[in-house]
Amino acid sequence: MPGIDECLLEAMRLPGARGAALVDWTSGLALGSVGESPGGDHESTATEAAELARLAAEHQAFASEDAAEAEPPVEDLIISNRDSYHVLRFVGTTFDSSVVLHLWLARTEGNLALARIRLAEMAGRLVLG
Amino acid sequence: MTVVRTPPPLPVRDKTAAREQSGSGVSPMLTRLAAERATGVLMRECGTLHLSEGQVVHAESPLAPGLDVLLTARGTLDPAQWWSAVQRAGDPVGAVRLLFEGGSLAPGTLELIHLGALFDAAYFALAPSSTPGRFRYGSPPAQAPLRTVPVATVERETLRRRTLLHSIWPDATSDGLPLSRAERGAAPPLTARQRAVLDRVDGSRTAPDIARELGRRTFPTLMDVRRLVAAGVVAPGARPPAALAPAEVNDPDITLLKRLRDALEAL
Repeated sequence: MPGIDECLLEAMRLPGARGAALVDWTSGLALGSVGESPGGDHESTATEAAELARLAAEHQAFASEDAAEAEPPVEDLIISNRDSYHVLRFVGTTFDSSVVLHLWLARTEGNLALARIRLAEMAGRLVLG
Repeated sequence: MTVVRTPPPLPVRDKTAAREQSGSGVSPMLTRLAAERATGVLMRECGTLHLSEGQVVHAESPLAPGLDVLLTARGTLDPAQWWSAVQRAGDPVGAVRLLFEGGSLAPGTLELIHLGALFDAAYFALAPSSTPGRFRYGSPPAQAPLRTVPVATVERETLRRRTLLHSIWPDATSDGLPLSRAERGAAPPLTARQRAVLDRVDGSRTAPDIARELGRRTFPTLMDVRRLVAAGVVAPGARPPAALAPAEVNDPDITLLKRLRDALEAL
């Protein structure tokens, strides 16, 4: 049963991981961060990741309508660019929260499918009661 | 021929120096306490901050649901289990520690709930107040297993949250007044969270009341409420607020007194 830091360090062990953060997507606050961040500033990366997560979670086109309150309306978001991937995994909790696990992967070494599966497992273990 | 001599300019206070001295300007007293690595409890009008060696360990506010509400509202923890832990430990923070050590609370759950409650309550504790804050030096609350947060992070986050709310809808009256539904034609598409908030708008509940009933943190609820107000679905009622009354004060005497107080706190 890991805490926030252990969870992020585990994410960093994925092949090609460049940086990871746990972000509150209602406020844009980084609750924890390790490794590098795209702009060199974890705080502003967290704010921007939160904007993206909020858009996906609150727009009818992307959120699943019948999701129970304990489940986030979106599972994950994937962004690919020329040299890297970003995976944002929503963390479902029984209590009130709004957090995503944000992983930044180098495109050449990273394995997107593996990262997606592992992040889902980590998000589940983080809040295992 | 009269020569008009311009009088020498009046001395002007160097505002940049004062601002640097008082940190981010949320609470000069808090900045000073952080600098001297103080341990104790800072009591302000809308909440309290618990400090340990200049770091924030915990925050509480009557306007933000506490650990008890967040933990038990949706079955994360059995209420009976919570209250027996509180009885044994004497206070909520001690109860959380007991439950953690007993294996009833996972580390990730504990950290997320604690940090969520801390920043939520700190937002209100650091709200502009009309009375000076008091600090009681005391023995440090045993921190482990709770994470501590630097004062600067809490201040920065509080300011950012204010800006976020302001960017949704600049009028803050809906934060503390009882809310009522506004008569309006077609409602815009709402999220499930917003619908739950709207369902509880009945002309007497305030945003913090609704947050508590839903077992949600108050700040995200304020964001939902400001969006509903901006969409014209909800309007703040006219009844004078009981708890939160950040009334606009334009009286020059009061403004001067407030500036004096801030200056004294900054010393």
